[in-house]
Amino acid sequence: MMLSILLLIPLFGALLFLLLPSELAPTRMRSIAIVVLVLQLLWSIRLLFAFDLELPGMQLQESFSWVERLGLRYELGIDGLSLPLVLLNAALTLVAAVCTRELSERPRLYFALILLISFAVNGAFVANNLLFFLIFYELELIPLWLLILIWGGTQRVYAATKFLLFTAVSGVLILAAFLGLAFINGSVDFSLSPLVTERIGMGSQLILLGCLLVGFGIKIPLVPFHSWLPDAHTQASTPVSVLLAGVLLKLGTYGLLRFGLGMFPDAWAVLAPAMAIWAAISVLYGSLAAIAQRDMKRMVAFSSVGHMGYVLLAAAAATPVALMGAVFQMVSHGLISALLFLLVGVVYRKTGTRDLEVLRGLLNPELGLPFTGTLMILGVMASAGLPGMAGFISEFLVFRGSIQIYPLATLLCMVGSGLTAVYFLLLVNRAFFGRLAITPEEDPAIQKRLDVQLAPVAPRETIPALALAIAVIALGLLPAGLGGISDAATGAMAQLFSGAG
Amino acid sequence: MPIIPSELVSFSEVPSALDLKAKLLANQTLLAESETHVVEVVDVLKSYGEVLDAYSKNLIYQAESQFLVPFPLFKYLDGDKSFAKIWRHLCHDRINFEYAEYCMKAMLWHGTGGMDSYFDSAAFIENIAPIIQVKRRDPLLGLLHPLFPQFLPELIRTAATTHALGQFWRVMSDLFIDLADAEADKRVCSILDVVDFIKAGLVAAAGNPISYGVKLANKHFWILPPEAGLTFLADVAVPYVEAVFLRGTPFLGTVSFNAQAQQISPDQAQFCYGALYADPLPTMGAGIPPSLLMQDMYRHLPKRLDLLYQNRTRGEGDVRVKICRSFQKSMFCVTNAAIAGTFPHGLAGTTADQLAADEAYAEAWAKRLSQGRTDCLAV
Repeated sequence: MMLSILLLIPLFGALLFLLLPSELAPTRMRSIAIVVLVLQLLWSIRLLFAFDLELPGMQLQESFSWVERLGLRYELGIDGLSLPLVLLNAALTLVAAVCTRELSERPRLYFALILLISFAVNGAFVANNLLFFLIFYELELIPLWLLILIWGGTQRVYAATKFLLFTAVSGVLILAAFLGLAFINGSVDFSLSPLVTERIGMGSQLILLGCLLVGFGIKIPLVPFHSWLPDAHTQASTPVSVLLAGVLLKLGTYGLLRFGLGMFPDAWAVLAPAMAIWAAISVLYGSLAAIAQRDMKRMVAFSSVGHMGYVLLAAAAATPVALMGAVFQMVSHGLISALLFLLVGVVYRKTGTRDLEVLRGLLNPELGLPFTGTLMILGVMASAGLPGMAGFISEFLVFRGSIQIYPLATLLCMVGSGLTAVYFLLLVNRAFFGRLAITPEEDPAIQKRLDVQLAPVAPRETIPALALAIAVIALGLLPAGLGGISDAATGAMAQLFSGAG
Repeated sequence: MPIIPSELVSFSEVPSALDLKAKLLANQTLLAESETHVVEVVDVLKSYGEVLDAYSKNLIYQAESQFLVPFPLFKYLDGDKSFAKIWRHLCHDRINFEYAEYCMKAMLWHGTGGMDSYFDSAAFIENIAPIIQVKRRDPLLGLLHPLFPQFLPELIRTAATTHALGQFWRVMSDLFIDLADAEADKRVCSILDVVDFIKAGLVAAAGNPISYGVKLANKHFWILPPEAGLTFLADVAVPYVEAVFLRGTPFLGTVSFNAQAQQISPDQAQFCYGALYADPLPTMGAGIPPSLLMQDMYRHLPKRLDLLYQNRTRGEGDVRVKICRSFQKSMFCVTNAAIAGTFPHGLAGTTADQLAADEAYAEAWAKRLSQGRTDCLAV
């Protein structure tokens, strides 16, 4: 029942919010949400202790009949691929709740939706049945759509609708693939096993895998299905961006590994070279587009497009090291992008802008945002893959595991990694160095005499970012822990693929 | 992008050179009259006076007791080598005497006035020759002097400038603390009173002799002998203002210049990196203090000014920037007093030539000052 309890904690939390009196102060509601999410995090850590690191398959399984005629079973399980993501979800949802501030509009609904997302994401990661996964995958869309639509920026309707349309198409394609699988098999077996696809011809496998690739490719997102992400991030509030980049994109990469590679290893081997090139294009496009941005949040959003491409490269190579790198990349990207979005949120809250043509000198030790700037430098260094931080380990593993299989694509992705340093140094140089200013530079004589009054950042405002920064360094210095969790699962997955290859 | 709230950014008007010239000629203060300005200027000068007291004592100690010591490891300890003093020094619980040394070096490098001329004279070389003879007994100096004959004379010039600055700051320290007492006694109530008080102090000390000698091997040697005729105002105060207020030294950590990129004029007279030009806002890099001087003044901040700062902007968080801004205001008052005290005809000329000379003097100063941080002068 451990996994069921994991699901019930945020679900009951969400239901609890619907029962709370609406006149309860938002800060009190935030405290209740934090308590629920701390419970969820503690329970996720409890799972870690119950988890056997040596076993490659699903553990802590639960299985009950639900709608047998539809092949829908209540099947839960967790392995080395999903456990790190469950932990990431628990940590980042807590961070999202902690960093929620100045919430005046419908706080009850807001926190209920945050908890509902956490429930849905947990459900998707531990679902051991295709349809069950899809229910959770779709369930997460509506709360997120509402979070952007109600608490977003001025263009929130456009961004939320775009997000909904893209991800609804993603869901339809994945559903089509799962139903197609049942149709071709002539049975209603939606269990999560490569055996289900063994009897299917290669042509059909390629079509079904293609549907999954595009479906999850929208969610990841991969170029050219990425255009919803920068808009969604730009309009979403900081906590929602943290969840979106940190956790929700991982549903795409997780789905790709679990259902694409895990269920169609033969077809995967056929499409893998194209996927590697696709990954390189996505990485380069994301990086180059990030260089062209003047909105800090859009820059970080495009960096996500680029960095998620590494996961596709690693999945295409499907060697044990590369798959380990994919897991590391998912976790490290979750932590780093959440950190960057948090810090961009702080900058936005204090200055009223994210425009790189306007912001200058925020690292000013007296009147700027020096600690925020310091963490931002740490975050961009981690994102650029500097040794000692999470980004280095993940990129190193991805490149090391992929270069022998796809040397050209890997080299192109390495160029993308170098470009990360370019656009993030542009960001840091423009926004954080120089004389403090938050206005466009029109007259240098005036600019050098401007008096800028920014409210200081209270220590409690930086606690979530500080916690993430510590996690980024800890993962960079002590990667063996995460490696130990995912080693058996990624090894088994790679074996499955090599057997097919 | 949302519109940036207007209250986050402000810009004070910069007076033109013509405005400044008119004020100087009309004997008006450059700094606008206000009660807050009086508190800022008087209290910041009081803290500055206390810091200058420590700087002055240390500079004189260095020049007299650390003269040509090859490795002056304890030069900032004022002769107190107790464990407690060394421990506090290592923990940086101390005055930043380095700032005083920077000012001394700025005076030496931007040498103007009678003391600089004397350093280049034959009389000076003649005076220091016996000192060098005595000091050559030190093995290291004995080796270095034949190899680099200009080395010891330059060190002696440095020591002389150090001592002269110590004497100058002794007078200024007392003057600024007296000013605070006068304000407490209601003898000084406005910015005009402040300027007049400083002017009177400078004029009173103008003719004070500046001399310096050292005792070596139980024998006294003059370096700046009385017969050189060096005086407080013309030979130390004015060169100090020129070097520190106008040309160098920018407050540490405020801005960096790239000489190779032609950001610095090759003509030292064109330098405008002094205290009156320095940006109070530190630029580049976290953790660099706006200035060592501001840190020192913060340690001696009067309660009244501290309370004023607590209620402004970030309170304690940006206190050194606020000190720097108040300090610039006070330095404009000191400059104002110095200009008022050195008009060729004291604004009391009767002939056309005398009036033209005063006007030209005011115009030259107004031109130089107008490039400075005059935005701090408004109310």
